[in-house]
Amino acid sequence: MVNITICIGSSCHLKGSRKVVERLQALVAENNLKDDISLSGTFCMGKCETGVSVTVDGNYYSVSPETVDEFFKNTVLCRLK
Amino acid sequence: MMKNNNDLCADIGYASVNHEGEQLCGDHVEIVEKDDEVIIVLADGLGSGVKASILSTLTAKIISTMLSEGMALEDTVETVMATLPICSVRKVAYSTFTVVRIIANRRAEIIQYDNPAFILMRGGKSTELPATHLTMSGKDIYRFETSLYENDLFVFFSDGVEHAGIGNLYNFGWKRENIVDFMKTFYDVGFSAKTLSAILLDECFRLYDGKPADDVTVCTVRIRKRVPMSILIGPPSDPADCDKMMSLFFSKEGKHIVCGGTTSTIAAKFLGKPIKPCLLYVDPDIPPTAEIEGIDLVTEGVITISRVLDYAKAYIEDNHTYTDWNTKQDGASQIARLLFDEATDINFFVGRAVNPAHQNPALPINFNIKMRLVDELADCLTKMGKKLKVLYF
Repeated sequence: MVNITICIGSSCHLKGSRKVVERLQALVAENNLKDDISLSGTFCMGKCETGVSVTVDGNYYSVSPETVDEFFKNTVLCRLK
Repeated sequence: MMKNNNDLCADIGYASVNHEGEQLCGDHVEIVEKDDEVIIVLADGLGSGVKASILSTLTAKIISTMLSEGMALEDTVETVMATLPICSVRKVAYSTFTVVRIIANRRAEIIQYDNPAFILMRGGKSTELPATHLTMSGKDIYRFETSLYENDLFVFFSDGVEHAGIGNLYNFGWKRENIVDFMKTFYDVGFSAKTLSAILLDECFRLYDGKPADDVTVCTVRIRKRVPMSILIGPPSDPADCDKMMSLFFSKEGKHIVCGGTTSTIAAKFLGKPIKPCLLYVDPDIPPTAEIEGIDLVTEGVITISRVLDYAKAYIEDNHTYTDWNTKQDGASQIARLLFDEATDINFFVGRAVNPAHQNPALPINFNIKMRLVDELADCLTKMGKKLKVLYF
């Protein structure tokens, strides 16, 4: 099980966290990974400068709506083995 | 507007729409509070436009001022009759009026001169009060008196309400029974007086097919229990004050609302409970809410409050956006319902910490903006008649 947490605080919201969340939800559904990936939200991680802040099993990543597909492929999928 | 006494209070709200094509409303509502009394005057000036507006404003101002200064009703009515300018077309000085005097939230006196009979819903049923007929300056005036009970709902209105739909959807306008049946549907919902007035007004506007043939005014008074509520936004400027701020906040009775990511983290830590943010975007522009056991509502901060402020400003003006927030589940709508409709007494806990991550000029959420939002919201809530206490940390 891979745990992805997305910051939904003010700053990340303005930087597009909704698009990141919705894209990740879509990718999880498309790839039939509902049982393997858990998505959750969190309030401010204190790293607003580099938002949208996302953690994967506790490791920090900076993701944007433009890079979310690439992030999913390179960072999330390779953890699922 | 709310007036407090013991555990009952009068929630007063009104709204108007103008005769089609007119810039001014020929109806006027005036509310004056003095000591433990509230005086409400709803006046409807003859005709429409400027002339009607002057007549009704003068009438409402004279009556409310004189009565609140302790003058007798007879003298007041005589003064009004003697003062009003005479219409050159109709050769009469004329403005109908309803006067409501609420005393200590326990008793009400109502005086009506040619306005449609008001509606009183008591225990969900329309109730008729016995009337006393008086003749003053040759005018027929009706006087009513009653004790007040929790959940009494008074609906006062100008004849523009009864005329709605004439020759259109209803042949002879909708009758009082129709208005009673319509309002009955909303009796138990818990809407504020202002929202109830806006709902009835919207229905009239619909019946007029969007082209009111008269000025339409509704003033609703709900007798209700006081409901305290507390809202917390922002961490304290000195982190050492966190526990003090939290213990004061959670010691208040009533529901608790916490706004802001960092703020809710502090609150959750204080309560020793986890935060469970949800990822549901009910409104694409408002960040999702979260859950913390022991807190009634947890939302994001600045963006959500900024939307609540938009709703508050519209609410004070004509409440035309109530349909945006009175059913939706996003954080801002939920806060609006709690603060505007449910609460009567609000404790506003404001933390003045500067979030360093938000002081980026590219972000529209810096410290000054946050403080301005809080000040404006407090101002709006006071204008709504809420009893407000603001505490800064």
